[in-house]
Amino acid sequence: MEILQVEAPLVCTQRVSGLQHVALKVLRNVKTGMRQVAVDPVGCREGNWVFTSLGSAARYAAGEYSVTTDLTICGIIDYWEEEAS
Amino acid sequence: MKICQVERPLVATNRIPGLEHRHLQVVKDGSVSSVAVDAVGCKPGDWVICVGSSAARDAAGSKEYPSDLTIVGIIDHWPPKGATA
Repeated sequence: MEILQVEAPLVCTQRVSGLQHVALKVLRNVKTGMRQVAVDPVGCREGNWVFTSLGSAARYAAGEYSVTTDLTICGIIDYWEEEAS
Repeated sequence: MKICQVERPLVATNRIPGLEHRHLQVVKDGSVSSVAVDAVGCKPGDWVICVGSSAARDAAGSKEYPSDLTIVGIIDHWPPKGATA
């Protein structure tokens, strides 16, 4: 499971029915600067450090297998010292 | 399977219900840190083998468990004799 920081919520009104009404977040890998979008069943805030499941595990993590995602936030890390960026 | 070194336990109070109360560990594969579900009970510094994809879900307990990286074994001796880490 990858460790990422929450950058912002993502609003996306026009979506496929498979994505249902799940909340989306933009996550950033602080080391590489790469951004990814993940389903957020936890309810995290900007700046939170989270860990994510990818692939088919992401669909189970979303709470319902019918959600068509490949990246889901599994939890908020209680304490994570910020790596020097 | 990946060979990783356990860095430390990861505390995440706010997590999805699917993750249950399983222990999580921060593991290092080279310079990349990731989070793995600890199915064996390892200590910081241990060298372990980790499985990914659907085997990670199965290894963590059930087919529906939302893990994409699970620790499945502690390596007795690593690195092998004569090799450099």
